Amino acid sequence: MAAAGSVKAALQVAEVLETIMSSCLGPEGRQILCTKPTGEVLLSRDGSRLLEALHLDHPMARVMVACVSSHLRKTGDGAKTFIIFLCHLLRELHAVTDKGKDSFISKNIQTHERHWKNCCQWKYISQALLTFQTQILDYVMDHYLSRHFLSIFSSSTEERMLRRSSFELLLETYFCGRVGRNNHSFISELMCDYFFKCMACESEFEEVFELVDDYFVELNIGVTGLPVADSRIVAGLVLHRDFSVYCPADGDIRIVLATETIQPVFSTSGSEFILNSEAQFQTSQFWIVERTKAIMKYLQTQNVKLLLSSVKQPDLVIYYAELNGISVVECLSSEEISLIQRITSLSPFVLPQASSHHEVLNTAVVKFCKPLILRSKRYAHLGLISTCSFIPHCIVLCGPVQGLVQQHEDALHGAFKMLQQIFKDLDLNYMTQISDQNYTSNPLIYKTRESNQSSELVNDSIQRTYQGIDVKNKDELAKTQTYLKVYSNVVIPSVELEACISCSTPKVTPTDTYQADKTLRCLSANPRMIDDHDPFIVSDPTTDSTTENTRIEISYKNVLITKIAGIGNMLPERCKSLEVSSSQSYCFSSIPAGCVLPVGGNFEILLHYYLLNYAKKSQRSEATLVSVIIANALLSIPQILYKSKKGNHSFPQIYIRTLRALQANQPVVSSQTGLESVSGKYQVLTSVLQCLTKILTIDLVISIKRQPQKIHDQDSEEEL
Amino acid sequence: MFRLEAKKPSLCKSEPLTSERVRATLSVLKGVLTSCYGPSGRLKQLHNGLGGSVRTTSQSSALLANLSVTHPILKILTTSVQNHVSCFSDCGLFTGILCCNLIENVHRMGLTPTTAIKLNKHLLSLCTSYLKSEVCGCRIPVNFSSTQILLCLVRSVLTSKPACMLTRKEIEHISTLILRAFLLTIPENTKDHIILGKSIIVPLKGQRVIDSTVLPGILIEMSEVQLMKILPFKKSDSFKVALFRVSLSGDLSDTGEGTVVVNYGVSLENAVLDQLLNLGRQLVGDHVDLVMCQKVIHPSLKQFLSMHHVTAIDRVGVALMEPLSKMTGTQPIGSLSSISPSSYGSVKDLCTEKFGFKWFFHLIPNEETVCSLLLGNRNDTVWDELKLTCETALHVLQLTIKEPCVLLGGGCTETHLAAYIRHQTLNKPESILKDGWCTQTELQLTTEAFCSALESLTGSLEHDGGEILTDMKYGHLWSVQADSPSVVHWPDLLSRCGCGLYSSQEELNWSFLRSAQRPFAPQPCLPHEAVGSANNLTLDCFTAKLSGLKVAVETANLILDLSYIIEDKN
Repeated sequence: MAAAGSVKAALQVAEVLETIMSSCLGPEGRQILCTKPTGEVLLSRDGSRLLEALHLDHPMARVMVACVSSHLRKTGDGAKTFIIFLCHLLRELHAVTDKGKDSFISKNIQTHERHWKNCCQWKYISQALLTFQTQILDYVMDHYLSRHFLSIFSSSTEERMLRRSSFELLLETYFCGRVGRNNHSFISELMCDYFFKCMACESEFEEVFELVDDYFVELNIGVTGLPVADSRIVAGLVLHRDFSVYCPADGDIRIVLATETIQPVFSTSGSEFILNSEAQFQTSQFWIVERTKAIMKYLQTQNVKLLLSSVKQPDLVIYYAELNGISVVECLSSEEISLIQRITSLSPFVLPQASSHHEVLNTAVVKFCKPLILRSKRYAHLGLISTCSFIPHCIVLCGPVQGLVQQHEDALHGAFKMLQQIFKDLDLNYMTQISDQNYTSNPLIYKTRESNQSSELVNDSIQRTYQGIDVKNKDELAKTQTYLKVYSNVVIPSVELEACISCSTPKVTPTDTYQADKTLRCLSANPRMIDDHDPFIVSDPTTDSTTENTRIEISYKNVLITKIAGIGNMLPERCKSLEVSSSQSYCFSSIPAGCVLPVGGNFEILLHYYLLNYAKKSQRSEATLVSVIIANALLSIPQILYKSKKGNHSFPQIYIRTLRALQANQPVVSSQTGLESVSGKYQVLTSVLQCLTKILTIDLVISIKRQPQKIHDQDSEEEL
Repeated sequence: MFRLEAKKPSLCKSEPLTSERVRATLSVLKGVLTSCYGPSGRLKQLHNGLGGSVRTTSQSSALLANLSVTHPILKILTTSVQNHVSCFSDCGLFTGILCCNLIENVHRMGLTPTTAIKLNKHLLSLCTSYLKSEVCGCRIPVNFSSTQILLCLVRSVLTSKPACMLTRKEIEHISTLILRAFLLTIPENTKDHIILGKSIIVPLKGQRVIDSTVLPGILIEMSEVQLMKILPFKKSDSFKVALFRVSLSGDLSDTGEGTVVVNYGVSLENAVLDQLLNLGRQLVGDHVDLVMCQKVIHPSLKQFLSMHHVTAIDRVGVALMEPLSKMTGTQPIGSLSSISPSSYGSVKDLCTEKFGFKWFFHLIPNEETVCSLLLGNRNDTVWDELKLTCETALHVLQLTIKEPCVLLGGGCTETHLAAYIRHQTLNKPESILKDGWCTQTELQLTTEAFCSALESLTGSLEHDGGEILTDMKYGHLWSVQADSPSVVHWPDLLSRCGCGLYSSQEELNWSFLRSAQRPFAPQPCLPHEAVGSANNLTLDCFTAKLSGLKVAVETANLILDLSYIIEDKN
């Protein structure tokens, strides 16, 4: 069976999803209850979880879900926004083509033929979208939007310091979209406290993010039956096990880690133990007992007070541990063991060879070790002393039902993922990352292309060096990509520095809290430069066939970026004049780490404004059309966010106020506190555009009996 | 997320609370919970229709554990109550009914969930800060030098469980026993922090309730034949005890991952037995009087020990290991040879007890922190209920030791709190209204919903058609018989308020709880003389009730906040 794939079908699907998603978007969003086939009940406001729970059947919906999940794999955030954007884009497109349909009908073409015609039209639009994404969007981002960016770091020096106030605002925003309305400020404070307690030194926060993300399950304990407000942070590490033996101890407490049973066994694997007589058996048993006794005695002399074991220890070991005043925690998971090792850099205890106790015993010191009772369940609580930049703390999350505790756990984990995204260190893989994430704007391409043509900036030698790199030369491309790795780290520091120095002139201060904020102006390019490029972009696509596919577009970019980097590095003495232009144009073409905007649809309204502005200037009809469509669709998010607000805080009021401020070149005043990541928003937008192109290029959906993949056992199910 | 296998699409419903069916099921659940509430609550009989045991109960933990609810919203509600009960044992019905009432009231008043949720949270914080403050008029500090208040607390727990079928005399008896059992678990010499002992409930099914008793130490049930075998005990001041964790049955322990080859003619059984007998010799040499083992003792070893007048008891079970080792001061032994002398413990005396047809081996400790509560009842299902009640009472006492205060029971706390909240929001609304996200009207409506939820909760204490009144001075609860004449002098009809603190002879004004009241400020700060003189108060556990209140409001907020339900139909 085949069904026509059309915008209409996709729109219907997207609208259904949008109604669900919009109900839980933003600070006023509500909860959704999901049940599992096992009978578990889960509360959620997490877009990806909801999409997963829906088990969508419709082919269009599956395409969308696949796109969302691939977006989430990359960024981990923005599923709800994705669906809403997509829905509104489809709606706008549908409206536009509805208008044009009359002309089609009047021509009286047969329906089937009309469908194909339609499809050609969609393909055309999808290419226009692609061009928009790679050319116009990035240009607008760089040249206009970036002047509104704020930074989460306290200073623009190389040593990046987190500011607690902006960190709190960022988290608050995140949790507003993830946990129930009554709890977001509490959870965000909890998370903020947790993070700052865990951080040993301000500059090494990335390691903390990574570690907490990796061992999140081990670092938090869920307790049901207590009110949420009883959640708290406990210092030290709480193991999800009870002591097998607990001997109260204080002072110098040393711990050892065992990954095997301490009691020797008759025979290890692969060996054979031959018993010849009863006496031999008795002696060997006696030897085992004596040996265990000796080891435990030895541990005691080394001041060991706690034995952590990943396996179950025999009764004999437990007995001698207790006799020697050593507490024991058994059956630790491998994750717990590796977390302990990571925190204390302690290596597992190796059984000393027969009767020689001279090996250096690996021990670590703990401040305390005591049982912790939460809801009549006992846990082992250790005050580990950290040797890395993570000071161990655990979060105890309470809630009346498991579903709520689970939601808070997921939200906290997600927050750490989101922060990792925002603070991703751009120093080393700056270039590659940029090209991966399409941060580099195409104006750059035009610029250099322009300079190639006009040969104003680029001199002959460079031309000669890169003569081979023509646009479609793949071999050279590979080569330049290797350059890219080599040079990237050399170029960036200077570039960044320069960016910081030259760009910090004007300040945008939306609220008093940001007074101290040094607004990172990524673009302080003089108006002349912009003027220079404007006509170029307009005229450029004419030389470029629109049917050119994406891959080539991207390769263009790589080549050209590397070229500039190469210039900076290879010709240091000649680049004096060049560097100003090349490095400037280069560094502006990225969204630096930690770039944020005030929450509440600011990003969308700003981008909407600048896109419309751009559309006005643009002469090409498609570009104008696509820009207008996207600009209008962007407003959907603030519309939903301000839905329940009345009077001065209603959406039209805010919209008009913002536009006026922008037209008058005044700072945009946001009514809401809270910050959100620019790169996150940007990535959602690009992913949505990609998804839309994917949907638009489908003309026919054919349902087949068999899976495209060879999964045989599932085939039978499918046929049923 | 992106599935390849065919799965049934989920069912997605919007605005679940507006559906008539959901509200009907909620009110059914509320009906079930409400009718169980309080001393005159009705009992529920649980049976599965296929035979087997029948449970008669009015307690939330037994009721909800056996009730299978299908609707996700009800599931949230019941699990939330169950989780609360597993933490605090008490106030389960309170939590459940309050939660249902809140949801129902918010809906009845047509409030938007968004503001109602926020306001509920504010009102809850008003409640908790008042209950924790010094001026709170419904909280009594516990004085541990007298047992008066603790006894009242235990008695209130027992009275509120009608399924235990206790007479007044039996209630007195059992509450004294429970209190005694609890006091026995408090160690005499306390250091900086107290570690409570354990009271073990021993079933004496078939005996009268009045025959129940508390004994210090641990009772191990045995058949008469077994017990006669280990008799007689020798006379001594103190008995040396060895407690084994490791099995003494002569089985071979783990031999490792490799292979063990045993040559023909080598009998490992004999070798192990030799080892066991050696152990026996060592025990006898160390003058041990009593050997206990968690697992099985080899008959030969048993025989050997009894020949040397050492009492041997095996199959103690893992549950008794911790109290046994705590009581006797032994270290559970995990070795078959070379036992350190420090692992032996001692008991003061050994004896046998007989209750009805049951024989017990009784270990009497030197220091009493472990005791056994022998609980009798003629009826099996009532015994279950009684046991649950005793556990609740013991837990409530433990909670009270941690937070030494109690709340007035009998509905007085709820009516008092409602009066306080009404008065607060009417006279000092600025603290809530200052942010400007809600209007005065919304605040008043939500307050009304919140307070009437509390008041109708106390209303459900009355099951026999009587009327509920409240006084305008203390805000306490008074109930009137159903068949009372309509116009009378109130003090003649009423005797004491719900908690028993105030008598009707004071000059008070009463009004019906259901009628519209004019807000008044309930008198804060309990007079001390009133608390001292009253000896028959109804009291509630502070920690459990406070947490129940919080959990109820939080759960109600959670349910009110739902916009969609996605049901996985796979």
